[in-house]
Amino acid sequence: MSKIMTVDILSSIKGAQPSETVNKLFEVIKNAQPNNNNSSNNVNYNCVSVNDLREDVVIESPILEKQIIKENFPKEKNGYLVVSKVIED
Amino acid sequence: MDSQIKQLHQQLVNKEISCTTLVQERLDLLKKNTYNSVNSLLEDTALALATKVDAKIANGEEIGLLEGIPFGIKDVYMVQGTYTTASSDLLKNYKSAYTATAIQKLLDAGAIPLVKENCDSFGHGSSSENTIFGAVKNAINPELVAGGSSGGSAVNVAKDYTVFSIGGDTGGSIRQPAGYNKIYGLKPTYGRISRYGIMAYASSTDCVGPLAKTIEDIRIVLNVMSGKDGKDQTTHTSSQINEEAIKTNNVKTVGYFKNFIDNDAIDPKIKADFLAAIEKIKATGIEVRELDFFKSDTLVSTYYTLAMAETASNLSRLDGTNYGNRIEGENLKDTYSITRSENFSEESKRRIVGGNQVLSQGFSDEIYLKGLALRDQISQNFEKDFEEVDLIISPVTPNSPPKIGDSLKDPLAMYLSDAYTVGFSLGQLPTLTVPQGTETGLQITAAKNQEQTILKFANFLKETI
Repeated sequence: MSKIMTVDILSSIKGAQPSETVNKLFEVIKNAQPNNNNSSNNVNYNCVSVNDLREDVVIESPILEKQIIKENFPKEKNGYLVVSKVIED
Repeated sequence: MDSQIKQLHQQLVNKEISCTTLVQERLDLLKKNTYNSVNSLLEDTALALATKVDAKIANGEEIGLLEGIPFGIKDVYMVQGTYTTASSDLLKNYKSAYTATAIQKLLDAGAIPLVKENCDSFGHGSSSENTIFGAVKNAINPELVAGGSSGGSAVNVAKDYTVFSIGGDTGGSIRQPAGYNKIYGLKPTYGRISRYGIMAYASSTDCVGPLAKTIEDIRIVLNVMSGKDGKDQTTHTSSQINEEAIKTNNVKTVGYFKNFIDNDAIDPKIKADFLAAIEKIKATGIEVRELDFFKSDTLVSTYYTLAMAETASNLSRLDGTNYGNRIEGENLKDTYSITRSENFSEESKRRIVGGNQVLSQGFSDEIYLKGLALRDQISQNFEKDFEEVDLIISPVTPNSPPKIGDSLKDPLAMYLSDAYTVGFSLGQLPTLTVPQGTETGLQITAAKNQEQTILKFANFLKETI
């Protein structure tokens, strides 16, 4: 069953409402008449070739990097990240 | 060719100035500046690096061209161990765990970072007022905005607090503040410089680029930062641009978009100055052609639709779990939403909500996917244009810089002020702002990977208009 989700839920921002200013920009797109309604993305083609993918290797992070990542934890206990209570809907 | 980097390099080599003195002088200027261009200073590391450069010179060792040259970094780049706030409450105490590739390349070349520079929060703005560190003031008239989002970077260069600065440009964020503060600012071809380590705004148009006072300094810094990077698989290999290669102009045909100039939105003085610049170019024997292009409102709307969708996705990771200013709620979901509501600015929230709107079921077909189709058409239009002309020139902005406070009151006017910059972002084209031609400068745009042609023509324009 699909459930209608409002933008405040989608954005995880309390009380968020669509903006009138932004809606004006969207109106221009709605009224535009592109000659092809499906993007083929053949102009700005930025994908890497499968023959040119980087090696799939595990790189150990340096100690300093790990230390800073821990420093950035909003809550930390014995070197572990502490998160808020998770609830099931 | 004029180059502050070369001039300072020579002074260091000749021992006319020590690197420590150079760095300390610039740090002092940054500390006492009243333009709100600084988020944090990197004083200790900068002075330690300067001492090493001085020791090398004292030992008679050769130093590289960028070694000891002080520069600034927009506060959206990771530099290990430094605060990287994106000018936001959410990340005001966040420390980078690693260093961005582009910045690492400059560090490897010996350049010395002095400052993390004020900007619009997460790049969301065209005035550098959307920041927790206070609106950045224009270097020429402090009552006006510095432009944005790389406003602090442009002001630091314009005031000689940094020799060059590294900005980020998603829809004009290097080119517009460069124009507002009368310096050079380059948005390279998308993929020429790695985006690894820049805080993502809209990943399909985000570009790393330099701001500086001379074309030669732009060239030097561009060469160092360019190149393929395994950590950003949209990067590509590019050729180095030699100094000799940009000395003599061989551009024969330039174009400009007629509808940018023939409309009511452009300031009459900017229009008149632009047309006068066109006449001077014509007088040198270069052919100038008028080109057709999309209407400004289509360009702005296409850009903002796609940029908002991408930023909504990119910023969804900022929920206070692993890092950031978490505000606890009753449970995890509540914590996410309070953290994000309290810590994002109104402008960032507007863009995130807009992005989620266009990506949601029922809207994506008629807005987001249509936006992508329009982007294709815009890009195809550029391909056609560059079969006819070598370069496209345009004003940077339709109007002069607004007063501080005005843009926040009228976000639509702010979005529309990006009309001349966003198209080239959608096309992923290289574009340089030069501080000439109109009050807010001129943009020179070429086909992808033709930065050399742009720099060549910029040199030519310096003598021509």
